[in-house]
Amino acid sequence: MLSILRNNVLTLFFIIVLAISFTTDAYSQYLINLMLVYVVVAQGLNLILGFAGMFAFAHGAFMAIGAYVSALLMNTLGVPYLIALPMAGLAAAFVGCVIGIPAIRVSGLYLAMVTIGVSEIVQWVLRHWKPVTGGTDGMLVASPTFFGVEFSDDFQSFYVIFVVCALMTVLAQFVIRSRLGRAFVAIREGEIAAQSSGINVARTKVFAFAISAFYAGIGGSLFSLTQHYINPENFNLYQTIMQFCMVIVGGSASLIGPFIGAVILTWLPELLRNAQAFQEIGFGLLLIVFVIFMPRGLAGLLISRNILPRERFSRAARLRKKPEASTSVVVERP
Amino acid sequence: MNPLLKVEGLTVRFGGLTAVDDASLAIAPGQIRGLIGPNGAGKTTLFNAISGLAPIAAGSLHLSGVDVTSFSAPQRAAQGIRRTFQTVQLVQSLTVYENLLFGLHSVARDPFTAFVVGGHAQRTNVDADRILAEVLEYLGMSDLQDRVVETLTIADQRYVEIGRALVARPKLLMLDEPTAGLSPAQLERLDDLIAKLPADWDVSILLVEHVIPLVVKLCDRITVLDRGRVIAEGTGSEIENDPVVQKAYLGERLDA
Repeated sequence: MLSILRNNVLTLFFIIVLAISFTTDAYSQYLINLMLVYVVVAQGLNLILGFAGMFAFAHGAFMAIGAYVSALLMNTLGVPYLIALPMAGLAAAFVGCVIGIPAIRVSGLYLAMVTIGVSEIVQWVLRHWKPVTGGTDGMLVASPTFFGVEFSDDFQSFYVIFVVCALMTVLAQFVIRSRLGRAFVAIREGEIAAQSSGINVARTKVFAFAISAFYAGIGGSLFSLTQHYINPENFNLYQTIMQFCMVIVGGSASLIGPFIGAVILTWLPELLRNAQAFQEIGFGLLLIVFVIFMPRGLAGLLISRNILPRERFSRAARLRKKPEASTSVVVERP
Repeated sequence: MNPLLKVEGLTVRFGGLTAVDDASLAIAPGQIRGLIGPNGAGKTTLFNAISGLAPIAAGSLHLSGVDVTSFSAPQRAAQGIRRTFQTVQLVQSLTVYENLLFGLHSVARDPFTAFVVGGHAQRTNVDADRILAEVLEYLGMSDLQDRVVETLTIADQRYVEIGRALVARPKLLMLDEPTAGLSPAQLERLDDLIAKLPADWDVSILLVEHVIPLVVKLCDRITVLDRGRVIAEGTGSEIENDPVVQKAYLGERLDA
């Protein structure tokens, strides 16, 4: 019984969240929604930062693109949310590709600088392109409507966010256990060895940008549902650093890590509501402590203590018995 | 017989330094070719140039008659050129099994993944687990498949690297000083493995090695490099008795 729970922690997480949502008050519901949004965003950042090992700092900006694109599509064109949401993700992914193609020429600290520059440019556009974005006044976000029913309050939008978050989790697991996910890990661990195993490093990196931006775009769109109102302040560097914190504290390069990080970093600021100044200091301290003492984050700790199972990187159904003598190699040469 | 790998006039320059100068060699199918030479002779650079990691300034490279000179490293890997590294290049935090999976990238099943990560899109249903099980069995590592690589000995890690190359069924396997850091007993085991690889896997081998007796024992033919140039080629005994080779190894002063 315990081992079933141990192997299905994420399913358990979604069941518990669903159960809590039946009994909660409006404010807690809002926080649960926000937490699920951050799960989506942190999963995206984890794919590029944790798995592919690229220091991309533009995820606040990708999130903004998702939020503004879906809000504009709904507000001005009356596009249904069912279409606006994937468009938000695709728009962010497109921008991710456009940024990624030149940005992959640099790595490490320089990549961080380039992507911080990108997020500042996006900030500037959001502030100054007033006819479209509303500038610093921000813009109101229409409530999504599904089949004639308006999902306006937090209890209703929870179901939208819950379902999308679950789907994005399934997708993340799919990616991580695919060749693409392993290619991310391979380029993180050594580009030369990756190339010699037949991995196209440049394309894999661009795709890491695109897919993690896609997550941020979807997350941004969901974020706009929780706020009903968006402005550039929501997506500044502080936003990016908080996401960074979630990945590092939760556990980078772990499927479960973003969940742990999103839970902690959504509820921690609430506990520190009366000490606003300490919030930011707290984030900084948390980041320092984890980077130095626990680089694999809480998920890494739980896995090394054998509390959580080791995560898999392949989907192949494993043969437990030894292959028979007659087994021949089935792969043909290209 | 047509050579499997044909290198003609290969030149690699780094700025003003010519690291490999007009090197030519041809490896027959199933051959084990040794590549030796004093330190700084350009062995590793030639190795890198063949696997696509060093830029080729002049010359050409043919694999089974296909001109791969302009191919990138992943493209050459997909064509069947695989290698190991002098310092083991594995993902230390993953298991043996997962590391072997990296070798299968160029036989990606769907065209989309093949486009992104590289390699050929093959429609055939590649049973990854079957291939991996067979390679693990061959290397005698079936029991170690779920062990995390960082817990293995250097010798076992070298086997994993060879395994990662073998799962892709390469045409040419390039081994860069595979014996570095091995004990005499481990060396003998590796020796036996390399000797039977060409027959069992239908592969040619290019071996860079410092331990000369090993190279002489294992290799069908040996190419000697000195200061970027091929100074001799022949069988083990021919090379051992070649005055030019002796001079390159022992230096000018003894000669004087």
